Amino acid sequence: MSSRPTEAEPAPDTSSTGTRPPPRPSWLGVAVIALGLVWLYGALSLPQAATYAVVGPGFFPAVIGAGLVILGVLLLVAVARGERFEPQDAEDADATRAPSRAAFWTTVAAGVAPVFVIRPLGFPIAAAVTFALTARAFGSRRTLLDLGVGLLLGIACWLLFSRLLGLSLPGFPPLGVA
Amino acid sequence: MEALHQLAHGFVVALSPLNLFWAFVGSVLGTAIGVLPGIGPALTIALLLPVTTQMNPTGAFIMFAGILYGAMYGGSTTSILLNTPGESGAIMTALEGNRMARRGRGAAALATAAIGSFIAGTLATIVLTFAAPTVAELAFVFGPADYFALMVLAFTSVSCVLGASRVRGFVSLFLGLALGVMGIDAQTGQARLTFGSPELLDGMELVVVLVGLFAVGETIYVASRYGGGQLLLNPLAGGVWMTREDWRRSWKPWLRGTLLGFPIGALPAGGSEIPTFLSYMVERRLAPKREEFGREGAIEGVAGPEAANNAAAAGVLVPLLTLGLPTSATAAILLAAFQNYGLQPGPYLFLNNPDLVWGLIASLYIGNVMLLVLNLPLVGIWVRLLLIPRPWLYAGIMVFGIVGVYGLGGSELDLALMVVVGLAGYAMRVYDFPIAPALLGMILGPMAETQLRRALAIGQGSPWTLVESPLSATILVLAVAVLLLPTVLRRLQPA
Repeated sequence: MSSRPTEAEPAPDTSSTGTRPPPRPSWLGVAVIALGLVWLYGALSLPQAATYAVVGPGFFPAVIGAGLVILGVLLLVAVARGERFEPQDAEDADATRAPSRAAFWTTVAAGVAPVFVIRPLGFPIAAAVTFALTARAFGSRRTLLDLGVGLLLGIACWLLFSRLLGLSLPGFPPLGVA
Repeated sequence: MEALHQLAHGFVVALSPLNLFWAFVGSVLGTAIGVLPGIGPALTIALLLPVTTQMNPTGAFIMFAGILYGAMYGGSTTSILLNTPGESGAIMTALEGNRMARRGRGAAALATAAIGSFIAGTLATIVLTFAAPTVAELAFVFGPADYFALMVLAFTSVSCVLGASRVRGFVSLFLGLALGVMGIDAQTGQARLTFGSPELLDGMELVVVLVGLFAVGETIYVASRYGGGQLLLNPLAGGVWMTREDWRRSWKPWLRGTLLGFPIGALPAGGSEIPTFLSYMVERRLAPKREEFGREGAIEGVAGPEAANNAAAAGVLVPLLTLGLPTSATAAILLAAFQNYGLQPGPYLFLNNPDLVWGLIASLYIGNVMLLVLNLPLVGIWVRLLLIPRPWLYAGIMVFGIVGVYGLGGSELDLALMVVVGLAGYAMRVYDFPIAPALLGMILGPMAETQLRRALAIGQGSPWTLVESPLSATILVLAVAVLLLPTVLRRLQPA
């Protein structure tokens, strides 16, 4: 995490009192409670107490599940009380801007694409697709160039990591290169 | 002096050509990622974990230490020249350092940062050399209940000190704990929370969570809020390196920074934000030319925080090596690296693997020297790294993430989980949840559970076993104190 250092002169506060209403993410509390319930359910179907060890494998997960439920409720209370949920500062990211949905979904696509591409078409091509999609999310319109650079990067990674260092990355299955 | 003997032996190990090579690779890599945004030492080490399983552990850890220290140096370079701190410990440096650079004194700022980092790093490593074996001896006194209490303290501190609110810190922690609990229970062989998937029997892969939280989450977040910034390079020309007066003004802040950084870095949730902030405040109060702060840029404001930063990085290694207790996200990943090799940091590591431990400590000295050399004359080169267009930089980070995740076991499920965790990481950034507690929960959680069950087994089920020993009772009281501290502070201050 990093943030822009504060200037000596007072800077205008554009963070929370901008044109957008402050976020009230009640769904966060609900999501945490839901997760907690899932963990509780999973935990309670396990043996709780083993004869020799007092607490069985289900104990810790149950504690975690219960903890998440309680925390989810506390979160809902915090949201209801109007606690501020400001986006974090990050380099290159302007926390005061409204987020771009297009960029969001393009980046998600960049992450999801390899799931479908990597086994049939190999790593270098998957890398090219991810590379180009991510670059596009950041505003690049030179898609062909991005695909080319991504492919080069993918091949370089494949040579380095798969051939030299022993990880298992498929090369180009249609041609039988593992 | 037993420690000196061991250290001498460690130097023999660290000075072997291969280990020197790894130290160099680590330092270069560390500086590069310290300079670049979007990727930090935690993620880099995590991505290298699958690769380094092929390597000799000593070389691997020497490289990781190089990355850790190198990132400190690299982060301060961008702080000073471009007002963009490469990592959180460099935020304070940017305050005065960038002002100095804008007045044409960038070279002096860089020099004081690098030299201060070197001095602090070396001093702190000396303390580490003598403190580590002693603290490791202490660990023999620790029983399971004490270890459990210590981990509770780490959990509480990380969740309460970082971040906007304790509730959010704990949510992050419990998310990490929840992820850590998935898989086969080591003590009973029972499958837990695997949702019927055979792939999840081994639990969630650490690299998947790390790449998801850091690389994917960060990329989605930055992409959705990207302003297309144009970076202006501050010219280094027009700056003399350090004058005699600069040296005179810097040496005390260097020492004070080290004194602040090392102990705080060693504490749970110490990190580097607190010591650097404290150092800045102290230097500002003590500086004779106080008016330079916030205007031309005071060199004390660079010297102190930079020293504090590096001393804190060495401080983090103390509890990690001696007790196996990680006190920062990067330390947690280093712990995971130890586990990967089947090694357990702690007194037994000092006994059974002295080559590794002392070779590592010795290479810290060497690394500091390498980094001083790499950073001072070659600053111009590092800064040019920032000319990489942002779209390509983040696209490259995604590609490396996929290498790390898929290269492990070739599982599309891992890739899908990476995206899911990435979305969670995105949400955490949007709604200001700290990320470090999740990491600590996932890595330390299973160990905490083991200690808890062991303690309860020994105590035959009585929960009082957890507070029986004076050590565990004290530590747990401390944990409660940390938990309640913000509430108490708020009550004491008028609204």
